[in-house]
Amino acid sequence: MNQGKILIVDDSDLERELLIEVLKGAGVTNDFLQAKTGEDAIQLLGTRYKEICLILLDWQMPQMSGMEFMEAVVKVPAVASKSIIMVTASGTDENKKKAYNVNPNLAGYVVKPYTPDSILEVIRDFVSVKDSD
Amino acid sequence: MFFGKQNSELDKFADLLEEGVVALFKERGELTFSSPPKKTNHSIIEFDGRMRADGMEKFDNEPTYVSAVNFYANEKDLEKQKTLGALVVYVQQDYIAKLMRKLQYPPVDDESEEAMLDSCGTLCNIVSGRFKSEISSAGYIELEMSHFRNYRNNAFNGVDFCYAEYNLYEIEFQLDGKKRMVIEMTMGAVPKR
Repeated sequence: MNQGKILIVDDSDLERELLIEVLKGAGVTNDFLQAKTGEDAIQLLGTRYKEICLILLDWQMPQMSGMEFMEAVVKVPAVASKSIIMVTASGTDENKKKAYNVNPNLAGYVVKPYTPDSILEVIRDFVSVKDSD
Repeated sequence: MFFGKQNSELDKFADLLEEGVVALFKERGELTFSSPPKKTNHSIIEFDGRMRADGMEKFDNEPTYVSAVNFYANEKDLEKQKTLGALVVYVQQDYIAKLMRKLQYPPVDDESEEAMLDSCGTLCNIVSGRFKSEISSAGYIELEMSHFRNYRNNAFNGVDFCYAEYNLYEIEFQLDGKKRMVIEMTMGAVPKR
């Protein structure tokens, strides 16, 4: 079980809140960090990378997009191995291919709207989940 | 300088958008619209090279939130801001918090302007993402999409659009028996894959 923090990067406050609500409701016990832009996420990653066990990343964001964020992250050995899962409204196969091309170690790709079960299935191996009973 | 070509299949794209929104609302919140969405074709009203996007005129001068996303043919065009299409979502101020709850989002502070703007943008983002997927599934190239931009009442500087395209589709969606959301969509010619 990984007790690190989950960093959620999304320019929509409501999507970040929803994701936290859904994950907590699904039994995820990790704490969360939030970033509204790719730049904010880079700063958080730079200063708190040891605390972060998983990054949940939106694609379309102002200034630095999710893809640009990943391109930057994979070039830095200290953080390149961080598990990243895309959580995006762009759900086509070509988008997925593009994301995996930029980051061959991408840990997953979740399309909005997601269900608690569908997102939990993808992130389960990277987080701590309490038993439902 | 003109960019792109006029889209002879704009009506087909309006159908794709309508179908995508109907499916999205069903999946997201088990929501069905009170009546079939109403599509109308209009000329784009342009000023200073941008498309007019006035929310208040959609809802009898009631305060309205407006969010817009642009589409591009590829990453290079996105970088150069060579716009191929635009999608604008309008929701009446009084209904946006309720609509987001119906779509299973956490409660929105309806006294916070920022939260209301963010809600409309969030809605515009999931609608645009779905529309993009519908276009791709219909055999067209994969489009690039901008992040959302939010406005209250109207997009004061207008919205980018493809200058080769003169028309847009306006689609009205009714919930609880009333017009609750309007989406405008324009798109230049999108090549097939």
